[in-house]
Parts: sequence; C-alpha cells; structure tokens
Amino acid sequence: MSDTHIVTPPLSAQAAAAGVPVSGGSRPPGPIDTTSRQAAKRRKGVRSLGFHAFMVVCTIVVLYPAAWMLTSSFKPSNEIIGNISLWSDNFSATNFATALSGIGGVGFWTFFGNSMILAVASVVGVILSSTVAAYAFARIDFPGRSVFFAIMIGTLLLPFHVVIIPQYIMFNELGMVNTFIPLLAPKFLAGEAFFVFLMVQFMRNLPRELDEAARIDGAGHVRIFRSIMLPLMRPAIITSSIFAFIWSWNDFLGPLLYLKKPDMYPLPIALRLYVDQTSVSDYGAQMAMAVLALLPVMIFFILFQRYIVDGVATQGLKG
Amino acid sequence: MRITRKAAGAAAAAVTVALTLTACGGAADSAEPGSAEKVSTDEDITISLAWWGEPARAEMYEEAVDLFEEEHPNITVQTQFQDWDAYWTARATEAAGGALPDVIQMDLSYLRQYGATGQLLDLGGQVGVNLDTAGVDDSLLGSGQIDGSQFGVPTSTNTLSLFYNADALEKIGVEPLAEGYTWDDLNAWMEKVSKAGAGEDPVIYSGADYTGTFWFFLQWLVQQGVTPFTDDGQLGFDEAQMTEWLNKGQSLRDAEAFYPIKQAKQLEPLGGFHVNESASEASWDNFLAGYVAESGQDIRMLPMPSGENGPQQFWKPSMLLSASAETEQPEAAAALIDFLINEPEVGAIFGTSKGVPAVAEQRDAMKVEPGSVDEKVVQYEEDVADVVTESAPVPVEGFGEIEAEFKRLGEELQYGNVTVDEFVTQWFSFADGAVKQS
Repeated sequence: MSDTHIVTPPLSAQAAAAGVPVSGGSRPPGPIDTTSRQAAKRRKGVRSLGFHAFMVVCTIVVLYPAAWMLTSSFKPSNEIIGNISLWSDNFSATNFATALSGIGGVGFWTFFGNSMILAVASVVGVILSSTVAAYAFARIDFPGRSVFFAIMIGTLLLPFHVVIIPQYIMFNELGMVNTFIPLLAPKFLAGEAFFVFLMVQFMRNLPRELDEAARIDGAGHVRIFRSIMLPLMRPAIITSSIFAFIWSWNDFLGPLLYLKKPDMYPLPIALRLYVDQTSVSDYGAQMAMAVLALLPVMIFFILFQRYIVDGVATQGLKG
Repeated sequence: MRITRKAAGAAAAAVTVALTLTACGGAADSAEPGSAEKVSTDEDITISLAWWGEPARAEMYEEAVDLFEEEHPNITVQTQFQDWDAYWTARATEAAGGALPDVIQMDLSYLRQYGATGQLLDLGGQVGVNLDTAGVDDSLLGSGQIDGSQFGVPTSTNTLSLFYNADALEKIGVEPLAEGYTWDDLNAWMEKVSKAGAGEDPVIYSGADYTGTFWFFLQWLVQQGVTPFTDDGQLGFDEAQMTEWLNKGQSLRDAEAFYPIKQAKQLEPLGGFHVNESASEASWDNFLAGYVAESGQDIRMLPMPSGENGPQQFWKPSMLLSASAETEQPEAAAALIDFLINEPEVGAIFGTSKGVPAVAEQRDAMKVEPGSVDEKVVQYEEDVADVVTESAPVPVEGFGEIEAEFKRLGEELQYGNVTVDEFVTQWFSFADGAVKQS
C-alpha cells in the first residue's frame, strides 16, 4: 500500500504545476512571439497528459493486487485461485462470517487483541528504551562508548536465524515460553538496534549549543533529555513508532516460536491456518481475514505517513 | 509478510542443521513391552498436544480432546496447531531446545529425522499398559518403527489412486481407463485425451507429468520388485532405473500432452485438476475431498497402473502420533494416543479427513453418508484392498529433502531446462549428501 501514497502526492503536485502555465495564459500576452510560446505550452500540455496517463497506468498496476484481494474476500473459495478477474456474480459476506467466527474455539477478536497488545506494547517499549539508549550514545561520553556502539551495530548485522535456537533455549529455561515476555522484553531493553541507531543519528544532528545552554542554566542529563531532546526528537520517535507497530503486527516467526496456546496467537499465525496444503483450504476466509488484518495497519499508516517523510527528510539535515 | 515467510523457511533450514548437529545421540535401546506404569487417575496432569491442519481439523481435535478429558478428569490437554510449514519450523526449534510438546502429530517423512535422533519416545514400553495397538495392522504398525523402536503409531491410512474427471471426459468424448490398465495404457490414454481436449475452451489436458512425483516412482519400483530403501537407510535403486522411469513421460512431454508447467505454477497451491482443465491426476486417495470441493464436478477413482503383478499398492500411514522423548508424563501421553487411535467416537468425529482410520472400530463408527466424499474414499480403500500387497517403503532420513529435489528437477525437466540424464546425475549427487549414513 505504501506505493500508493508515495505515488499520489507527486501526481497531484504535477497536476498543480501543470495548472500554472494554463492560468498564466490568461494574463495579457506579450506582443512578441506569442505563437511560439503557445506552441510550447501545447507541447508541455501534451507531455504532462502523457505523463499523467503513464502514472495512472502505473497506479492501476500497483493497486490491482490489493483490489483483487479486496474483491476476492467477497467471492466463494473456488472462484479465487486461478482467477484474476475482480468481478464475480456470487459476491457475499460469508467469508467474513467464517473469518470472524474464529478457529478451533478461539475467536477472531482474540487474535486481533493479541496482535494489538503486541504491537502497542512494542511501540511503547521501543520508544521508552531506544530514546534513552540513543541519548547515552549521542550525548554522554562514557568510557567504552565507541566499543558498545560498535557492538550494537554488530547486532544489526547478525542474522536473526543465528540466534533463534540459543534464544529459544534461554527463554524456555526461564519458563517464559507461552508468555508475551520473549517478544516484548527486547523491545523494552533497547534490543532493537535499528531504532537506537536511527535515533542516535537524529540526535547527533541536533545542535549541541542547545544542551550547552541548558547546562549553563543548571540542567542535568535528565532535564536536558526530557525538556530539550524529547520534544525535538518527535519526527524520529514517530518514524520509529510506525516501523515498530508494522513490524510487530506482521511478525510471524517470533509468535510462532514463543506462543503455543491458540488463544495467544496473533493474526499472522491464524491467517495461515486457512491454507493447509494437506487438506481442504478455505481461500475465501483467508482473504477476508487478510483484509481485516490489514485495516489497522493501513489506518495507522494513513494517519502517520506524512511524519515518515518528515522523519526521514530531517535525518539528512546537518545541524 | 513475504520477508517473514522467507525468514521462516531459512530459519527452518538453520534449525534442521542444528537439530542434526545437537542430537546425534541416537536412539536408546528399544523399551521392553509392558514395562511402563499405568496412568495415574488422581494426580493432576497437564500434557500438550500439537497438530498441523486447517480450522476444521482444529475443531475436530478440540472435540476429541474434550471427550478424552471427560474420561480422564485429572488430565488437562493443552492444544496447539499451526499450518504444515509453520508446524515443522516450530517443532524443529523446540526439538533443539529439548521442549517438544508431549504428543505430536507426525508425518512419515519426518519420522526418521526425529526418531533416529532421539527426540521421540519409544512407545513400545507403553504397549499393553496404556496403549493398545492390537487393532492396527502389523505391517502398518511397522511403518512407525525404526530399529525395533515404536516411535509413532499410525492413526489412519491412505494409498495412491488415479483420479479422473468423468464430466470432462464425457465433454471431450473419451472413455475412462478400464481397471487393470498398465503404464503404457495410461500413456496412450493421456495422448488421446490431450488430442480430444485441445479444441476446448479452456483446453482440457490429460494430466500433470506423473514422472515428476517421487512417490509414483517408488510405486513403480515396488512393481519392479525393487525395495526402494534398504533396512539400513540407504537407496535401493540406481541411475538406470530412474532413467527408465523418467523416459516413460518423454514422448508425452515432447507432444506437450501434459498439463503445462507454466500454468501449473500459476495455480499453485492448486493444480489443473482442481480447476477442471486437466482430466486426470494421480495422488493420495484422501485428496478426494479437496478435489471435489474445488472442482465441483464428478471425480472418480481408479487404482494405480499395473506392473507385471498388478498394481501392488501399499498402505501409507497418512499420519502418525508420536510422543516426545523429553515428556514428563509418558503414561498420560500414551493414554492420549491410545484414545485418539482407538476410541470409536473419535473416528466418528474425524471421518476420513485424516485418511481412513487404521482401527476397525473407528472405521465402523464413522457416520458415512451415502454419496459423500467419506463414503467414496472408504469404498475405494475396500475395493483396492486386494491389490494392496506390499508394505509402505520406510523413508530414509533426509527423505523430505530428496523428495523436494525430485520435484524441483521434475519441474525443470518440464520447463526443458534439464534432460533426463542431467536430472538423474543431479539428483543422485544431491541424494549422496542428503541421505544420512546411519
């Protein structure tokens, strides 16, 4: 879906831009070379028409799978696979009824609730821990800072799959399997190096003069962090929240390994149960559940997407 | 989603390696029959049960577990379920951590991987105490054994079958094959169907390229009098036999009579047969439910093609139940397995959704409605019972990998990217590394 939003603004911007020369034409024309100017305008008009047509086609191509998923969720199962048409004569909402009725005695809203708890708690954890960790790395000159920073970056380079088994054994020994702790603890302990890194980079670009001014006024680290840094970090915090939310919402492997009770499953695991290749698959219900599972992420994204651009754009500014 | 799925696959691979590395202990000596104690009736026990499958199966299991808990009020069963791929990813990680669920649904192709590495409980000790296997046919029970240890108990059986779409054949005016047909008859028939179906819209093909399916190759080997896998877990066939098998499909591949691989890949996980563009398909008999649900047409079944001594089919356990070697409650785990394979009411709940139940009491308890899919499958298994003369080949360790490689090369062969000779060389060099020397 992200493509739509990235594609759309330039489209409207282009339209606005294209509008300027047209309205400019209503001003009193200059006495000289009017015809060649009009020709140039016409050429520009044709070019912009071609450009828009091209962009519209691209948008359709990009959006088609999403539209297909949406309409498929209303089709009977046997009309879904091997059929790329958006239309069906048998539209009905039964797929949604199946999806909402749950799996094996566990209701859809339980899966939904679990996903929500995990996603929201992840966002809270990431923001609380990463901002503090980032402040330490960016502003406090403690011994071994560069070594720790390198280690943190190192965890970014370490593939997740290398640590799965040791991590599983550890949490299993601690008796934490079948709780949300293994999934949330790393978030609350700044285990997500990516977010820490993002915030460190952001903070490094904030002018040091601000801290120095605050220090002269008698502020300590806590006060500087709370009153100066946090408000200025808003774009970075929002960007991190969005990523933390979406990643947690879509995470499959983590919940698969650590959550063993069906009433603790989040949506991505429930979603895949509808397509079992060894027996009868219910594609309709899967599509319906996919649509329902996508809605919160989409709403979240639409509400916050302009901040993503803000956040990323300000990363590049030199203080 | 895409990235996470890929990650899950990679994780499964990583975990498989770790599993084989960490658990080389090998199986312990097989347990003495009847050496276990009777399951406790007053102590509070909690055991876990895991299976793969779709939501309908989850409901059936929950129902069966409720019955079990009624019979054993002191035992609580903690259930969990995933889809097939996720199931094995989760199990592999747990096995590496020594924390498999107490009772797990097991597949024949994974039995050796988990059994021979000491992850599974030898249920032999429970037989006659908490677990009654008398109702299970001996040769079938044998498919759950490795070196005399009973690592899994088959719950149900299936056998291969050739499905055909009677409506499609009528449309193009070709008679179905008659029972007792040979592999050559099958080829001739497929050619005829493809010619007759070429003018239809959409084109009706004869069927998928059967030579690319490993189990059909095994079935053919059995008909040739070859034991596909030796007792010590090695391959029992050679390059020449595989070449001969693959060449069976060459004339049809050249004539483009098979269902085109490009179309098949687009339809995955369904096939041409599901969408009525293909007139026949060979597969396991319990796939009937899926075919009927997707195609909505008249799907009928035939035994596999005959070799010199008839079809010589075998019962494959469609599913087994195993217990974890690490379980703290082996008695309760065995009691649950016993309940799931023997209790008639459980048979009534599951019907043939896992294959035809292995125990007669469960088969009889099924409420098969006349004309239903269940009835057709049961009827088919009764009809072919006299051509099921062989016992199922016990897969070697690494079976899942060599089967997948066979399928992959089969697709390359259909795309025309490899020749039959290249297929055979590449497969054997792959199998050399994948089949564990035990």
